[in-house]
Amino acid sequence: MSGKGGVGKSTVTACLADGLTRLGVRTGVLDADLNGPCMARMMGVRDHKPSPKNGAMIAARNAYGVPVMSMDMFLPEDETPLVWEASSQQGAYTWRSMVEMSALRELLSDTDWGDLDVLLIDLPPGAERLQNLADLLPDLTGAIVVSTASQTAMTVVSRSILMALNVANVRIAGVVENMSTMICSECRCKEQMFIGTEAVEELAERHGVPYLGAIPFNVTLADFLETGRSYIEVHAGHPAANAILDVAQRVHFWLKNQSK
Amino acid sequence: MALKSTHGPFDGSMSIVYECPTCSVQTAMLTNRAETQMVRSLGVRIGGRTTPEEPMETLRSNLASVQEESPEGPPSGTGGKCPFTGMVNDAIGAAESEPKKPVWTAEALARIEAIPHYIRPMVKRNVESYAREQGYLEIDEDVMDAVRGSLGM
Repeated sequence: MSGKGGVGKSTVTACLADGLTRLGVRTGVLDADLNGPCMARMMGVRDHKPSPKNGAMIAARNAYGVPVMSMDMFLPEDETPLVWEASSQQGAYTWRSMVEMSALRELLSDTDWGDLDVLLIDLPPGAERLQNLADLLPDLTGAIVVSTASQTAMTVVSRSILMALNVANVRIAGVVENMSTMICSECRCKEQMFIGTEAVEELAERHGVPYLGAIPFNVTLADFLETGRSYIEVHAGHPAANAILDVAQRVHFWLKNQSK
Repeated sequence: MALKSTHGPFDGSMSIVYECPTCSVQTAMLTNRAETQMVRSLGVRIGGRTTPEEPMETLRSNLASVQEESPEGPPSGTGGKCPFTGMVNDAIGAAESEPKKPVWTAEALARIEAIPHYIRPMVKRNVESYAREQGYLEIDEDVMDAVRGSLGM
């Protein structure tokens, strides 16, 4: 979660799924962004047609075996917006959030995920989204916060961290800094993306939550996420792949400590 | 009180009229559109159910546009002990399974094709429902205008 749109929650979710899987953690991905779903595409399962079996909907398995469920798989075309059936769309504010909560509950509970160690849930922007999820999942292990070093993003993210800790009472695994630097695909030189080195680390420290590391922006990584392939497998040893694995290891470490 | 007549469902609402067999006093019950939609959004099946629950039933049955190759929407399931809800379900079921489908004129079809594809099936169903309610066997542009008028558009 972040509270802010455009910081790369879905990118980090896909990277973490890749990284945790490489670490041997059985990981699933649920796209909780019903109105702007993208995880099916980023995980390479956009064409999967969900089908029921034994009273549950079978999750799609991506190229490296991660089960994925997303509203995207129920919509006919990439550009089809989410419209709920109603005799009239007028006054939809009275019932839309209700039907979306029901849908999210079903995506969570009616999916056959197989055996999982971790389920990553990609939330849409909005500080209240985590609280809604916590209402559905009282045993939620924790939240991973995603931010860039942009002052605008960090202000919103800071608000969301306070909301998570004080209102939703959800533990925070830590903060992931996304798009920390840009790594050239050719010479691997690094370029700062935002002014404010270590700003996200300071943000995490201020709130007393761990800093989980930084994932750089890389054109090849972005391309892999467009097609649902494992970046870490193909580009093992690349600074971006190492950064993703570092973050995944810290998340894994945090999770292991929670289960003790 | 005995069941006298049912009207609708149209535009998400329907009315059921009861009449006293002795003095002929009538009482009508009206379902409210917003409340009906709210109850539906919660996944509540009025009058209970007789069919087994399906996975992601609320999600699939509430989507206006779905994958063509996706599994069929879950069965509606009727039943329960309350006579009122039974009548509502019967009336809705009867309206939805009405065999005589109104015929669309070429002009009306062209007009419906101009509507964004993701909302087109829903609009089409609403117009057909209105046409059946009004007893029209053909849907032309006048019928479509009448539907717009009934929605206050």
